[in-house]
Amino acid sequence: MAKFLLLAFRNIFRNRRRTLMTLFMVGGGVAGLLLAGGYFAFMTHGLREDTINSGLGHMQIFTADHFNRDENRVLDTGIDNWRQVAASVKTGSHVRGIAPRIDFYGMVSNGTKAAGFMGSAVDPEAEKSLGFITHIESGRNLDPKPSGEVEALIGNGLAKSMNVGIGDGLTVLAMTSDGALNGVDVQIVGIINSGAAERDARYLRITLPAAQRLLQSDRVTNLVVGLDSTDNTDRAYAEMMPHLNGLSQRLELKKWIDLATYYKQVNSMFNGIFLFMGIIVFFMVLMSSVNTLLMSMFERTREIGTMLAMGTPRAWIVALFMVEATLLGVMGAVLGLAAGNLLGALLNSSGLHMPPPPGYSVPMPFRVRYVPLEMVGSSLLVIVSLALASILPAVRASRLRIAEALAHV
Amino acid sequence: MEEIVNVEAVSRRFPLDNSPAHHPAHRFVSALTHANLRVTAGEFLAIAGPSGSGKTTLLNLIGCIDQPTTGRILVDGVDTSQLKPAGMSKLRRERIGFVFQTFNLIPVFTAAENVEYPLLIQGVSSGERRERVAQALESVGLSSRANQRPDLLSGGERQRVAVARAIVHRPALVLADEPTANLDTHNATQLIDLMHGLNRSLGLTFIFSTHDARLLEHTERIIRLTDGEVVSDTASEGGSRG
Repeated sequence: MAKFLLLAFRNIFRNRRRTLMTLFMVGGGVAGLLLAGGYFAFMTHGLREDTINSGLGHMQIFTADHFNRDENRVLDTGIDNWRQVAASVKTGSHVRGIAPRIDFYGMVSNGTKAAGFMGSAVDPEAEKSLGFITHIESGRNLDPKPSGEVEALIGNGLAKSMNVGIGDGLTVLAMTSDGALNGVDVQIVGIINSGAAERDARYLRITLPAAQRLLQSDRVTNLVVGLDSTDNTDRAYAEMMPHLNGLSQRLELKKWIDLATYYKQVNSMFNGIFLFMGIIVFFMVLMSSVNTLLMSMFERTREIGTMLAMGTPRAWIVALFMVEATLLGVMGAVLGLAAGNLLGALLNSSGLHMPPPPGYSVPMPFRVRYVPLEMVGSSLLVIVSLALASILPAVRASRLRIAEALAHV
Repeated sequence: MEEIVNVEAVSRRFPLDNSPAHHPAHRFVSALTHANLRVTAGEFLAIAGPSGSGKTTLLNLIGCIDQPTTGRILVDGVDTSQLKPAGMSKLRRERIGFVFQTFNLIPVFTAAENVEYPLLIQGVSSGERRERVAQALESVGLSSRANQRPDLLSGGERQRVAVARAIVHRPALVLADEPTANLDTHNATQLIDLMHGLNRSLGLTFIFSTHDARLLEHTERIIRLTDGEVVSDTASEGGSRG
């Protein structure tokens, strides 16, 4: 077996220029997949962490009725005894903290103009303790215990459409649990630029007590759970579920992936592009390698005839060609891995930025993540592709008529 | 004496293309016609004749790398017409050694590895392979060139490696197709002496095709072919050629 592998290995280097070209092609395919996959992984990883750290958290607790709520009276389906629930789940081993929230809707008015908003009421201290980032473009964050007027942060799009800025006042109108319209005057202390223009055109944030006064309820719509690491989400979920059973209200626990619709869309888009690229590389390697291996087979016709004449089983000839192609694939993959990782390191240190993706207003840094699974997958792809490409030449070689092959010039 | 080869009324026709220009009766070319031949163990036999007389065809048929259109061939007691391709392959692997006109060594293997190859495909253990390769190379006087690749060997040395490869698995029969055709007089003479010596010392049966008078001079039995027919056999003429 060792001698057989040695023969296959040496055969690869008979025509060095051709082998080098094949290795460049295979290696280029692997390196291309690694760079594209690594960039996609960086983008999705960044988007994931950004999504979580922008306030989505790792998990959220809702009442079971929350998903059938009336958007005008969101606290009708809110969590009643949320402090008790929060205290109960906070004991989990991976839990960093709990942030209560009220997601609500209403109108804002500056006296001359009104617009709909999508509001979020938060506990600034809890948000801060969970490391949630508020992308404040100008001004400051909410004061947890404001002494004077109710403070508000608004999206830059909403600020522009309402023609307001830091220090200006707005009246926030929303429907209470009783169905009455209630209002509260707020003072804008900061302008938010989350990067998602559509969101910023409607976004308003006030403190939790202010929203509860506005909506005249002590409830919250959801509790946001922050963990020590995103990788621990499944473990923490399993640990937390029993704490939510047996309560007076039926509660549901959702993982971040169930709530991150945009992330899922982007992720599946990148997966689709990567799959498409993989298919292209697969067929590119397959088609060009068939040609190369057929040329190699024709050049060695007399030698194959000699081997067959000496009694070499035809299966050995098939195996020889397939082993040669597979070894070529392995070498190409190693070359591609080395080139891909080197280029990735160079790109990572280059400080390149890509234009903002659709719906975003900030340029994205160009970085490549090292994903072991992609390295293994890309390598296997080209190795399998080359092994498949060798089938036709291998079978042809094994079926040569010995007398004719020996007479081949 | 034990019979190694028995060629019984063997003909070999090759198809021409199916062009309508050819009359059905002329769509085949006859390379060998009704050939009969018996070879006993230890013979040193030459098949002679001009180019196109059917020498290579007869050797290919005896060597089980081609099959007769009619007739049958027994090699070492085995009726080759009854064998399937795998059986033919096994027979070649175990009972026949080949020497080719153009040496046909595997260029990426060293001389020793080339000689080792027939043992490798027979599944002989590495220790025994090493020992037998050393013996075979020694018997052809190339022990010192064992680790050279064919491109660094002279034509004569390459053909001696080919002879070592043909005998290393101790076959019943060695077939050589024009073994001296690509050699100069000096190397041809050395090769002839070598093959003759192996024939005598090991009792190996050699059948070779040639039109090299130098080789024919050393041959006890000569079969002459003309236009695919055996026209003379010095054995049936009552002894060796003078």
